[in-house]
Amino acid sequence: VITEEELEAPLESLELELLQGDVEMGVAREITDRIREQLVGDTRKQVESGEQVIERAIGDALRDVISVGQFDFEERLRSAEKPVVIVFTGVNGVGKTTSIAKLSRWLESRGLSSVMANGDTYRAGANEQIEEHAEALDTRIITHEQGGDPAAVIYDAVEYADANGVDVVLGDTAGRLHTSNDLMAQLEKIDRVVDPDMTLFVDEAVAGQDATNRAEEFDDAAEIDGTVLTKADADSQGGAAISIAHVTGKPILFLGTGQSYEDIERFDPDEIVDRLLREE
Amino acid sequence: MVLDDLGSSLRGTLDKLQGKTTLSEDDVEAIVKEIQRSLLSADVDVDLVMALSDSIRERAVEEEPPAGTTARDHVLKIVYEEMVELVGESTDLPLEEQTIVLAGLQGSGKTTTAAKMAWWFSKKGLRPAVVQTDTFRPGAYEQAKEMCERAEVEFYGNPDNDDPVDIARTGLEETADADVHIVDTAGRHALEEVLIDELERIESVADPDRNLLVLDAAIGQGAKDQAERFHDAVGIDGVVITKLDGTAKGGGALAAVDQTDSSIAFLGTGEEVKDVERFEASGFISRLLGM
Ligand SMILES: Nc1nc2c(ncn2[C@@H]2O[C@H](COP(=O)(O)OP(=O)(O)OP(=O)(O)O)[C@@H](O)[C@H]2O)c(=O)[nH]1
Ligand SMILES: Nc1nc2c(ncn2[C@@H]2O[C@H](COP(=O)(O)OP(=O)(O)OP(=O)(O)O)[C@@H](O)[C@H]2O)c(=O)[nH]1
Ligand SMILES: [K+]
Ligand SMILES: [Mg+2]
Ligand SMILES: [Mg+2]
Repeated sequence: VITEEELEAPLESLELELLQGDVEMGVAREITDRIREQLVGDTRKQVESGEQVIERAIGDALRDVISVGQFDFEERLRSAEKPVVIVFTGVNGVGKTTSIAKLSRWLESRGLSSVMANGDTYRAGANEQIEEHAEALDTRIITHEQGGDPAAVIYDAVEYADANGVDVVLGDTAGRLHTSNDLMAQLEKIDRVVDPDMTLFVDEAVAGQDATNRAEEFDDAAEIDGTVLTKADADSQGGAAISIAHVTGKPILFLGTGQSYEDIERFDPDEIVDRLLREE
Repeated sequence: MVLDDLGSSLRGTLDKLQGKTTLSEDDVEAIVKEIQRSLLSADVDVDLVMALSDSIRERAVEEEPPAGTTARDHVLKIVYEEMVELVGESTDLPLEEQTIVLAGLQGSGKTTTAAKMAWWFSKKGLRPAVVQTDTFRPGAYEQAKEMCERAEVEFYGNPDNDDPVDIARTGLEETADADVHIVDTAGRHALEEVLIDELERIESVADPDRNLLVLDAAIGQGAKDQAERFHDAVGIDGVVITKLDGTAKGGGALAAVDQTDSSIAFLGTGEEVKDVERFEASGFISRLLGM
């Protein structure tokens, strides 16, 4: 029978390992609690050591969290009524605009057409940035003047898509921190007015403990359907993926793995689990 | 007291010591645990947290509180001193002619910080110029140019030149009349060898007085390796922490200053050019311990 005492040391070191891998503290604690609850009092098979049982339980627990709600993104797009409107949200500088550009290429290579809409009417150089992407990708882009209404830009793109038989609208938004009440209210308004088919939250793999805060706040303001985790190439362990999946209950759909248009991959839950549990 | 803005659970633990003149080992252990929790959830590097706990534990048990000091205040003082030891004072920035290169991960806030710092120097009566060497990110030229217009400072960039090293050289020549030169660079991370090489070349042409590493307040445990790599490449003399207007505590900067044996220069607290502050240790330490 597995005892609580026996679990203490391995679970403590697991918690530290998770923290070291950037899993948020509360989430790490819940994961270790869950393992404790599950294992205490269990009888182990003759052939297995306590260590083996614990190791398996840890892997299972992490996989449970990270695999939450996975769905086939491409299939969902294909079967939806067109145009499919996707709005991208997230804090400043995480890679929303770049991910939109990458997805435009990704969609094109799967025979789906798209139009980008620059709902970032705030940041300096935002129009020029996304216009340059549109030119490089040879795709359509809708922009308004700086200071304009972000919802109106995306709405225009939806009308354009409707009129021209475009499959997907990729709506960008300005980066904002979840502590800005005004900007979060604006995001709610965009969500209400545009009423997108999907909202994708973008965050970066290098993010630490704050990942849960912002995922929760963004999910509250404009409910998300999934997450794009960028900058996975920067060699962090990517525990933010665990934190975000846990607090939102929504899947991580894509990984950004570089700055080129090809650097986007379907997210593989097992890979993050392996990264986190890899021996240093 | 310097640390009046503590997180509630840490304050609770400390309040239990109210009136006590000596501390048991259990008392100390409880405090150390709470401090660890605060620091870890502020993204302070795990190894640093452990080292810090060891010194706090040791001093709290060994040092007698000076006469008239309560055990609680004594522990607080030890914690504060140990944190200051780690964080250090604000990076020295003499108000004189100088060149500063900004480097850091993609999206960390370099371009915004360049304009902010230029604005800051101009308020100090110096004449700054920003040189934009990012030839990679779409719209980087326009972004930097517009931010510099908002800051009302001189700007150099060349969207038709795709050689960042050449832009750095030409830009510094063209803005030779300015007192303070701030060189913005494209985003890059530790594993991008080609880009790190490029940074080294920009740095050798710019021959700066200071290299500052720009770090997002939300960066996690990766801050340590990133800082180490940038330091190896060009030598980091100071850190700028951006986006402190959010809820992230900026603890990644501790590993960065530890790795680079440097200090923190500026804090970014918003998207506008005026949203910049010089680093000040006690407020930052309170934030780290505040949960
Ligand atoms: N290494 C790496 N860099 C990335 C990745 N995704 C985006 N970036 C870079 O991150 C920086 C910021 O990307 P943006 O797309 O402008 O981010 P954003 O979220 O739109 O930023 P704001 O609109 O200012 O909030 C750029 O330099 C991008 O090239 C990625 O997966 N890996
Ligand atoms: N809220 C807030 N946003 C900031 C701060 N500093 C920068 N930003 C925002 O963060 C995003 C990225 O800032 P940039 O200055 O473009 O970052 P960068 O490091 O130059 O990015 P790359 O050149 O792509 O590597 C933009 O949306 C900025 O407006 C800050 O202190 N607070
Ligand atoms: K960032
Ligand atoms: Mg953007
Ligand atoms: Mg930049």
